[in-house]
Amino acid sequence: MSAMTNRDVLLSLKDVEISFDNGGRKKFKAVQGATFDIYKGETFALVGESGSGKTTIGRAIMRINELSNGEILFEGKRISGKLSKQEDMEVIRNIQMIFQDPAASLNERATIEYCISEGLYNFHLYQNEQDRLVKVDRALEEVGLLPEHKSRYPHEFSGGQRQRVGIARALIMEPKLVVADEPISALDVSIRAQVLNLMNKLKNEKGLTYLFIAHDLSVVRFIADRIAVIHLGRIVEIAETEELFAYPLHPYTISLLSAVPMPDPVIEKQREPIVYSETTEEKTGPDYEMREIRPGHFVYCNPEQAMEYQKAAESIKEG
Amino acid sequence: MERISEDNLFEFATFDEKESEHIAAPRYSYWKSVWRTFFKSKVTVFLSVFVIVLVAFALIQPLQSGYSPTVAPNINNADMKYLPPSAEHIFGTDNIGNEVWDVVWAGARNSIIVSFVSTAIIMVVGILVGAIWGFSKKMDKWMIEVYNVVANVPYLLLAMVLSYVLGAGLGTLIFVMTCIDWIYVAYFIRTQVMIIRDREYNMASKCLGTKTFTMIVKNILPYLVSVIVTYISREIPGLISYEVFLSYLGLGLGTNYASLGRTISQYKSFMTGYPHLFWIPVLVLAAIAISLYVVGQKLADATDPRTHR
Repeated sequence: MSAMTNRDVLLSLKDVEISFDNGGRKKFKAVQGATFDIYKGETFALVGESGSGKTTIGRAIMRINELSNGEILFEGKRISGKLSKQEDMEVIRNIQMIFQDPAASLNERATIEYCISEGLYNFHLYQNEQDRLVKVDRALEEVGLLPEHKSRYPHEFSGGQRQRVGIARALIMEPKLVVADEPISALDVSIRAQVLNLMNKLKNEKGLTYLFIAHDLSVVRFIADRIAVIHLGRIVEIAETEELFAYPLHPYTISLLSAVPMPDPVIEKQREPIVYSETTEEKTGPDYEMREIRPGHFVYCNPEQAMEYQKAAESIKEG
Repeated sequence: MERISEDNLFEFATFDEKESEHIAAPRYSYWKSVWRTFFKSKVTVFLSVFVIVLVAFALIQPLQSGYSPTVAPNINNADMKYLPPSAEHIFGTDNIGNEVWDVVWAGARNSIIVSFVSTAIIMVVGILVGAIWGFSKKMDKWMIEVYNVVANVPYLLLAMVLSYVLGAGLGTLIFVMTCIDWIYVAYFIRTQVMIIRDREYNMASKCLGTKTFTMIVKNILPYLVSVIVTYISREIPGLISYEVFLSYLGLGLGTNYASLGRTISQYKSFMTGYPHLFWIPVLVLAAIAISLYVVGQKLADATDPRTHR
């Protein structure tokens, strides 16, 4: 990765394959050949349609899903497969997750105080009761909630407030990497910006690294530094955000970008979505791999397609 | 008059972001809501008082009367036999001159004790085993086989064998009642745990490093309060009736214990001649079992948060 070799790699996926046993003879491969690095301090977005395997990758990093091949490295240490108890706890502390559905991801029978303290209890990250309460208060304040919310139950909160509780609960552990699995897709449009801004603010304050999983390109453009486009369990294109929007090369990325609705009704009326179909585009083969077409811009293709993409990139550059 | 200008016509409204986060609704407390819902109905309140008085009376009265089935002080006194219910003999007297009042309450006491103790054992063991069973996939593999075996043991046959081998008594009866029933509870809890085990909030807890035991106590069991109370509310009256059933067949408490079941069994031959002898214990049994059941059901309803407010 020429442009950023000087940056530290925080998390790295190497040829990750995740398959599910669906009872049949053939296992269903949800993700195959996923290889990418996430650098310290960046927001790395994983974009794809429903069922493309983006959540599966997120869960594999959280070690909820097991890998069937490949490995995941965190700070150079392997975190996939069996870990010792101590390593396990270490990884849990360093990698936290923000869940998609704030209505489902909080324990409805526990107070907000318990929800937020859960991680503190598990790792005993406090000196005494007093210290714990101070930490909870601070965590609540950081996400814009009030100390009086401590004794409330999750169902008393709005979706945005709950999601912020979810964020507070993850961040109280002082993690290095946060996996955000579509953190705003279950939220009302009017409060999405609030949560996104909060996530950005906390990232800058605490120097966090995000893996941001989303299907909404406009959101991704706003928050991400780099984007990986995933289609049917395969990462097809990785590039920096503006690079990807300026030079979309893989036909699936082009199709995905053409599907973004325009806020201008006149343009929206004329917008013609480009349909991506696997029959017209050869999807995969033995000589397919991630090839660097432009600096820091990788596309999954074979050598002939690489030439074509290079030409396409040139023509976009010339206008 | 003050001149109206744009300067004093409008003023900036202050906006406090914190204020918008404030929750105006009154604080919610699960157990407070449970009791509020429970005591809302007058019938429930009446029945609860009735149950408490009935059970307390059944537990205390025999201590005061000192009735024992092995003594029959009036057995040779013909004047004391088959007396109908009256002010002096509230439930009348039976074929050997005993006060039916004393016989019935002493029997009820043993039935209630056996049922309460058995239910407590069944629920504690069942919930503990079931919760771990539901969580552990490894345990599920062999536990399901254990379930298949234990749940298919003929209940009555086991009761017969055990009561002959161990000798009829309070301990034996409790053992007979609990040794199979716990696995039904465990299986029931296991299924419930499996339903909510993979919900997102449990996954979140796992990602926070919460241990399985803490998850059972904090994440799973609070959700099961309602179904557990429902189960208990069926189990207690069910076991009271079951004790009566076993004692009726002669498999329950021994002859030196007072027992509602054996009382009914003994009195059944007087059903035509002295019907009160048969019907009084039956009605007392019905009153205890039904009122316990209804109150239990009401409590189970109240513990379901969907009924709150």
